[in-house]
Amino acid sequence: MENLVILKKEDLNDFVMQIARTKKVVAPVRKGVKSFAFEEVTSGARIDLDYTSTILPPKKYFLPQKETIIEYDKRKKEWTPTLYSEEIVLFGVHTCDLFGIQCLDIIFSENPKDFNYILRKNRILIIGLECSNYCDENASCALMDNQNPNGGYDLFFTEIDDRFIIHVNTYHGEKLINKTGLCTKADKRDVSELRLLKERKRNVFKNEVDIPYAELKPLFVNAMKSKVWDEIGEKCVSCGNCTNVCPTCYCFDIIDDINLDLNTGTRTRVWDSCQNGSFAEVAGGENFREDRGERQRHRLNRKFNYPVSKFRRYFCTGCGRCTRACVAGIDLKETINALIEEKKGNENG
Amino acid sequence: MKAKVAFFDFACCEGCQLQIANIGEALLDVLDKIDVVEFREVMSEKSGGDYDVAVIEGSITTKHAIERIKEIRSIAKVLITIGACASIGGVNGMKNNFELPEIKKYVYGEDEKYFDSVPTMAVDQVVKVDYYVHGCPMYVPEFVTVLKHALMGLPYKAPEKSVCTECKLNENECLFDRGLTCMGPVTRAGCNSWCVNNGNICYGCRGMLDDPAKTGQIEILKKHDIPLEWVTNKFNMYNKAKDVKENENE
Ligand code: SF4
Ligand code: SF4
Ligand code: SF4
Ligand code: SF4
Ligand code: SF4
Repeated sequence: MENLVILKKEDLNDFVMQIARTKKVVAPVRKGVKSFAFEEVTSGARIDLDYTSTILPPKKYFLPQKETIIEYDKRKKEWTPTLYSEEIVLFGVHTCDLFGIQCLDIIFSENPKDFNYILRKNRILIIGLECSNYCDENASCALMDNQNPNGGYDLFFTEIDDRFIIHVNTYHGEKLINKTGLCTKADKRDVSELRLLKERKRNVFKNEVDIPYAELKPLFVNAMKSKVWDEIGEKCVSCGNCTNVCPTCYCFDIIDDINLDLNTGTRTRVWDSCQNGSFAEVAGGENFREDRGERQRHRLNRKFNYPVSKFRRYFCTGCGRCTRACVAGIDLKETINALIEEKKGNENG
Repeated sequence: MKAKVAFFDFACCEGCQLQIANIGEALLDVLDKIDVVEFREVMSEKSGGDYDVAVIEGSITTKHAIERIKEIRSIAKVLITIGACASIGGVNGMKNNFELPEIKKYVYGEDEKYFDSVPTMAVDQVVKVDYYVHGCPMYVPEFVTVLKHALMGLPYKAPEKSVCTECKLNENECLFDRGLTCMGPVTRAGCNSWCVNNGNICYGCRGMLDDPAKTGQIEILKKHDIPLEWVTNKFNMYNKAKDVKENENE
């Protein structure tokens, strides 16, 4: 109860406007016909609290799609590292995406540390938002155990009736709450309603795939030669959508560009995708993953196998974005089910 | 010494040259580096001689054009094609959907015999091309990039990945989700998903990827109940010239 406060829903607009006076606030808003995106807002008006999932995850604020990292001057032989960062309040992050940000933290805090990421991250205040129901049928957050919050936020909002019950998790979060002066302390009734919601969620969120959490890794370890990869490889067109929208994909390319004076220029880092044909091509033209099926196998092993060995956690959040964004209709849950079926078949015969 | 750059046009709408004239301020920076020796859209002065860079717009559609492009190639150190017509044949390639005499008659009527015409070819179907700037019209930032590479003698290759990769980075709502058919998944990137950013489908003007995943693409069409011919027609719009075999026109 200590760390729980209440914000009336009717005060959300004031809350956002107050913060937006001094900081950039980004929140989920509708984009296009049936999509959503995190965008800058100055009031609560455009925020869509019932959003399903955004096209791109919030990683775009931590690891921008395109980022200048060095400016150079050939004549002066000068190389200047550059860092772009700004103070941002990131509002409305679902629990799966909180987990995704934690995954990126692990990757970029490893030695050698990525200071651009870390410094940018330090200036972003994260406000989570609880899902009381599934966003849509593509989600597999219960399989990945991400339907409930597990840290990684400054404040966490749970919407109940006419109010938000807010978990204040950090000093920065507390400062923000105090500054707005709009919140009151939670009482016993709030706490018991919060508990009721959690109970109700246990009946709503059920493992979406017929395999226990711990068995996921062995499933992938033993499926290196699976025919499922060939079948997916036939369908995949290597558009790279599944990796670009994934909250835990972080691979990037480095591009040097020169200005028209043919003297000064910039080095930028841009998102790359293991699904691009040339991703695993090395000098001499050798390509380690020429086949589309191999590339998909690699992508999923980078979610369900390799990171478990290295960091003892899965790198899939269960957000369902890869399924939503696949133009070829390749579905993550169907893929896992196909691997399970194949395994059963092998065991029985 | 400034590099001598010449612009030549063949069968096209000259829209790409217009794009260059429209570059605006950056054009002044470009002009700082180069001497434009022939350029119909923005200059009237002409001068013969050797060129450091020849920039070619338009596709090759006549015997005369074949001779002319060979001559240009022989006196140019570097040759750049700009726009779909020069780089992949472009819309002029649609002529190749018909028998040549038949289409000549359709276009020129009785006077058909006075016109010199061969099946449409991209420039690289006649001479060696060093750099390509794709698109219809070409994408200006790519032209500037290619020019810089050419001036520094560095190689440049258009990205061998799909328009989708750029489209997703721009966080556009996928047009398939709006019930439209988009050529993005099989079209070569490099235009920063120009059309989708502006609310249109990608109609494949930068040409098909070298390795466009045919089976996957057919699956996508099935999924959305779209007839295959519809898409082949779309792609024919830009890619048909490439059906002409080497030396077929000589
Ligand atoms: S995947 Fe689960 S946690 Fe993520 S948005 Fe959907 S319901 Fe919420
Ligand atoms: S693999 Fe798919 S479901 Fe898992 S985190 Fe990435 S986009 Fe989400
Ligand atoms: S989104 Fe689908 S088609 Fe595109 S690369 Fe990923 S699996 Fe292949
Ligand atoms: S709109 Fe077109 S280019 Fe963009 S992701 Fe969809 S299919 Fe690809
Ligand atoms: S989006 Fe497609 S049609 Fe538009 S410029 Fe790019 S390649 Fe051409």
